[in-house]
Amino acid sequence: MNNIIQTKAITKIYSKDGNITVKALQDISLEIEKGEFVAIMGASGSGKSTLMNIIGCLNRPTGGEYFLEGENVNNLSDDDLARIRNSKIGFVFQQFHLLPRTDALENVELPLLYSDRSDISKLAQKALEIVGLADRIHHYPAELSGGQQQRVAIARALVNNPEIILADEPTGNLDSRAGLEVISVFQQLHAEGKTVILVTHAQEIAEHADRIIRIKDGKITGDERVRNPLNAREELQNIPEETEVTQ
Amino acid sequence: MKIFRLTTNAFKGLGKNKMRSFLMMVGIIIGIATLIVILSVTQGANKKIMARINNFGPNAIMVHSGGGKMRGPSSVSEANLTQQDLHDISSIDGVKIVTPFQVKLNMPIKYQSQFTSATVMGVMPDWADAWKRGASKGNFVGTEDVELLKKVCVIGQTVKKELFADINPIGAKLLIGKVKFKVQGILQKRGASPGGSDFDNLIIIPFSTASRRLMNQPKYIAMMRVIVDDPSHLKVISRQIGQVLRHNHHLASQEEDDFRLTSSTQIIKMIKGVSNTLHIFLLLISGLSLIIGGIVIMNIMLISVSERKKEIGLRKAVGARSKEILLQFVLESLVVTLSGGILGFIVGILGVKIMELLTNTPAVVSWEAFVLAFGFSFIVGIVFGVQPARKAARLDPVEALR
Ligand SMILES: Nc1ncnc2c1ncn2[C@@H]1O[C@H](COP(=O)(O)OP(=O)(O)OP(=O)(O)O)[C@@H](O)[C@H]1O
Ligand SMILES: [Mg+2]
Repeated sequence: MNNIIQTKAITKIYSKDGNITVKALQDISLEIEKGEFVAIMGASGSGKSTLMNIIGCLNRPTGGEYFLEGENVNNLSDDDLARIRNSKIGFVFQQFHLLPRTDALENVELPLLYSDRSDISKLAQKALEIVGLADRIHHYPAELSGGQQQRVAIARALVNNPEIILADEPTGNLDSRAGLEVISVFQQLHAEGKTVILVTHAQEIAEHADRIIRIKDGKITGDERVRNPLNAREELQNIPEETEVTQ
Repeated sequence: MKIFRLTTNAFKGLGKNKMRSFLMMVGIIIGIATLIVILSVTQGANKKIMARINNFGPNAIMVHSGGGKMRGPSSVSEANLTQQDLHDISSIDGVKIVTPFQVKLNMPIKYQSQFTSATVMGVMPDWADAWKRGASKGNFVGTEDVELLKKVCVIGQTVKKELFADINPIGAKLLIGKVKFKVQGILQKRGASPGGSDFDNLIIIPFSTASRRLMNQPKYIAMMRVIVDDPSHLKVISRQIGQVLRHNHHLASQEEDDFRLTSSTQIIKMIKGVSNTLHIFLLLISGLSLIIGGIVIMNIMLISVSERKKEIGLRKAVGARSKEILLQFVLESLVVTLSGGILGFIVGILGVKIMELLTNTPAVVSWEAFVLAFGFSFIVGIVFGVQPARKAARLDPVEALR
């Protein structure tokens, strides 16, 4: 057993004003092995982000148990969860969430501010090299294209060398070429042994992963292996360069 | 290490929004600047008061002719103290010296073609002991000068400067009113008189000469200076002098004093009374500015927390603990208030220097003022920064990132 992530009958119930309740997740039990590249698919409102936030220790389940690297996360304090997010998890969001008026390097340094690392800017620079932005370290977000901004966000997610990369619709705001560039970075990270979990509702994006989990109305409705995952780098060679939109 | 990073981050944040940062600082700058001005002026005034008290003599009592409110020296025209008064006061326990003197203000003085006006005092030789002030050059008034009603004088530095410039005045003859006097000495420099006027614009002549030859007051004495053995006896001896004078002047119990007694304690009261209202007013401005500045900072920080929800959510998502967010926002407030405090301190010192130039009053900028400025800025930063910071720290990251 090499499950890095294991959930046992997880539920998440949102209650508003005590009466209207939303069952965002019901009885979710899943196991993800270390080094897997998993896509989570589902319609809008199906509970993908909710699940992602629980896996990322950003939110707590209402019921059930969640084991991260074999440790029951339910019993941990908020500060412990923050430490786990800092050291074991890297988040990538649909809206990038880069700090404005802050250059790429400083954006990538952010997680390191809350760690005990001291070689901050060296690590941040290395992370930007991995996502192919070594020549953009002092650019501000407003000076970068959407795809480049998302790659800065990915650099930020991996700067702490976490086990798990969680990406919630990372290509949602990007055109197809920029989206493929982002996916190719995830495939590269996966190849290097990271566990990557990608939320999307686009089948052609999901097929870059080697496993697809489908959820509907807060329940798992499907869990299948992808026999021949697409290779984003190969696809990119077939798309002409000038389709990239610079913001 | 972490706190150092967070602090530099807070400074960077300040630079990223210069206009907002400046607006946040304005109140603090005004508050601290006013505080510095008040402190410096007060300390300057205190120094001046101390100087005046030292001039007056911490163990001296002045006896003035004529009743009513305290004002400058009594002139011969209102003199009503007698030789009997002098004798009776000198026999009070604890009185070391009683020296009578005649005073006439603004007397015309002439030397050759130079004119000026000065205060003229007719004194006994022990005036020098009572004021700890004798001749810096030449001779002071001696016993013989008084016995023989000599027309000799000792001139103050201002008079010397006005009439003689660089010439040696000793031996020269000058006119006080219409009477010719020979200069036999120069008085030690003293600066301000107890009343605040120029105590060097003064001419000293023998008591008897003043009474009989210049001021036409052979019977009464204008003023007396009493020196007591110990400053702590001032109150008791003052009261005894009052009783003696009331008895000698046959005053009925419902009648008011026809004399005035002054000691250093009253001098302090008089000087402080003038400046206190201004100080209270300025202190009020300072306090209000600091409070308003603090409220402005708190509100801008609260708005800033709402505006930066995404940033806060993100920081938490990448591993910031609540207390680190709290610390970040408190530090941001502190950076604003402390920068404002330092700017306020500089503005305050400039204000003090300008005031010194304009009003010619000395001010003292002390390290206590700096510490106080720093302390107040710190307190305002903490007090008004904590609430926004707590709001930020309590944000739920999932909600904040939506
Ligand atoms: N804080 C909340 N309070 C109340 N209901 C919530 C809250 N967060 C999510 N929900 C509800 O939970 C359900 C799942 O939401 P979630 O954001 O996980 O969906 P999603 O699959 O990520 O959708 P999308 O594709 O639109 O991002 C939705 O019905 C949503 O309205
Ligand atoms: Mg979602």
